[in-house]
Amino acid sequence: MSEVQTLSHGLGGFADLRHWHETLNARSYGHALLAAARADERIVCLGADLSQPTQTHLFRDALPDRFFMLGIQEANMVGVAGGMARTGDIPFAHSFCVFITRRVFDQIAMQAAYPKLPVKLVGFMPGLTTELGVSHQAIDDIALMRSLPNMAVIEPAGPAQIGAAVAAALDYDGPVYLRLETSWAEPDESEPLMPLTLGKGQVLREGEDVAILASGLMVAQALQAANMLAEGGVSASVVNMASIKPLDRDLVIRLARSHKAMLTAENHSIVGGLGAAVAETLAIGGIGLSFAMIGIQDVFAEGASLDYLLDKHKMNASHIASKARQLLCGMG
Amino acid sequence: MTRNVPSVPELEQRAQNLRRHVVRMIQKVKVGYLLQGLGAADLFAALYLGELRLDADQPNWFDRDRLLLSTAHNTAIFYAAFVEAGLIPPEALGTYTDDGSPLEVNASERLGTMVEATCGSLGQGLSVAIGMALTLRRRGSNSRVYVVLGDGELQEGQVWEAALSAGGFGLDNLCMIIDRNYLQVEGHTDQVVAMDPIGAKFEAFGWNAIDIDGNNMADIVQALDSARATKGAPTVIVAEIVPGAGIPFLEGQMAHVAFLSPEDGERALAILEEAA
Repeated sequence: MSEVQTLSHGLGGFADLRHWHETLNARSYGHALLAAARADERIVCLGADLSQPTQTHLFRDALPDRFFMLGIQEANMVGVAGGMARTGDIPFAHSFCVFITRRVFDQIAMQAAYPKLPVKLVGFMPGLTTELGVSHQAIDDIALMRSLPNMAVIEPAGPAQIGAAVAAALDYDGPVYLRLETSWAEPDESEPLMPLTLGKGQVLREGEDVAILASGLMVAQALQAANMLAEGGVSASVVNMASIKPLDRDLVIRLARSHKAMLTAENHSIVGGLGAAVAETLAIGGIGLSFAMIGIQDVFAEGASLDYLLDKHKMNASHIASKARQLLCGMG
Repeated sequence: MTRNVPSVPELEQRAQNLRRHVVRMIQKVKVGYLLQGLGAADLFAALYLGELRLDADQPNWFDRDRLLLSTAHNTAIFYAAFVEAGLIPPEALGTYTDDGSPLEVNASERLGTMVEATCGSLGQGLSVAIGMALTLRRRGSNSRVYVVLGDGELQEGQVWEAALSAGGFGLDNLCMIIDRNYLQVEGHTDQVVAMDPIGAKFEAFGWNAIDIDGNNMADIVQALDSARATKGAPTVIVAEIVPGAGIPFLEGQMAHVAFLSPEDGERALAILEEAA
């Protein structure tokens, strides 16, 4: 995706480096956004109900003159965000993943992506992370956002990468879809912070047999799968592909050349998401190797617990490990 | 920058100039948004040649007034107004809809800042205008935002989300004009979806609503004055428009896109010359 290029910390401004530091060190989205907004007065916050679930109540209470509650009207919110961005602001618009993407696809295409405005769309509750049911399960949001020219898509791997994800979103002078998890409200403070650079994947574990490329909550499942594989003498690399668009194509090709098999793991449909992006890269690169995509296999899910659904859709660590073994045996 | 205040007869004269451009552009492409363009000529003259504070030398001037054409397709009149306001050169009209020309059938920002947002996917313009109005108000600018919607466009749900929102925010720097020309692809708007009373609906949403004859320049100017004087609420001007206004043999014709033969084009231009 050559059209998405980062500015070097340009858009966010961050004249006061303390706030840049504060944003990068934040372990919750709400704190990361607030710190960024304190550093750059162009940052405004838009909500469609859901302040608490999107952690934007912090912004609302601290900077009320830059907080705009639109109510339950996502289509209008995206248009309003476009108008604000055209007038010099950097709007962050919030809802659940499914409503900030699928419900408002045309509004995003016309009022954020086509004009390449710095509208940051922030979605919570990705994929299977809700018991509410199919209405709230965003299984195609990455596919939709990835298909739009100019749009960048970021899915951090956990609270330790939240601050870097917000900074990366600000670092790009264009529209961004930020896919976040609600359960990250109470992070583990002892976990080391993770960097995030747009267009770069991050190798978390180096192995030789199989490379597992994952995003979001599937990074933890992939790491767990790598441990399981190691017990059986299989060595796995695990890569955090938090920047889904632009994708780190060089890294994908390098890993494909240095491993016998490759797996992608995403909390999303296998149609149009991370797995598809990696598969496109391999095909265009002319690289053939054993390959499989862990994710929702082109079906709708249902309201149930995350553990249940990850098992049912063959997405948890055991299933990842088992698929990796099958690939390596040529049975994948 | 102060507002340019030409007299009503001056604006009427300039509306006729706009109509000439519209006829020539549609004559060239043979089929297009002729009836809507002629119908809205008085509105566009009042807006671009009187009401809006623009600076042709500084198209990105922050405190300019902004106008969005939400339907984006009534471009013969839109581009004609740009020429008369000095925002694009007159010769640009000769490239209308040509391959590679920034004067597309539906206006896009390829043309420049004067197309304040790329619309055309119906129902979106009011939301964008609200975003601009909110930011301008927060930053203490006295610039105003105008958005022109088609009457058929009111059938889009997003318009009503936005109407609720603008009323709730009390955006008195926002003025919406409904181009009530009764034309949509399917036919007469009232036969597709009954929409009256329009003004009263917006009033119920917290707007100041004004019904006018959109081909009466004095009415238009007075309504824009009233919108500017209104505090605490956005204004909607519901402008009744006669499609084809100004050319008797076209007036009242109902076609979303109309054909204009070279002969009819010449007849129309002759009528406009005579009126001048």
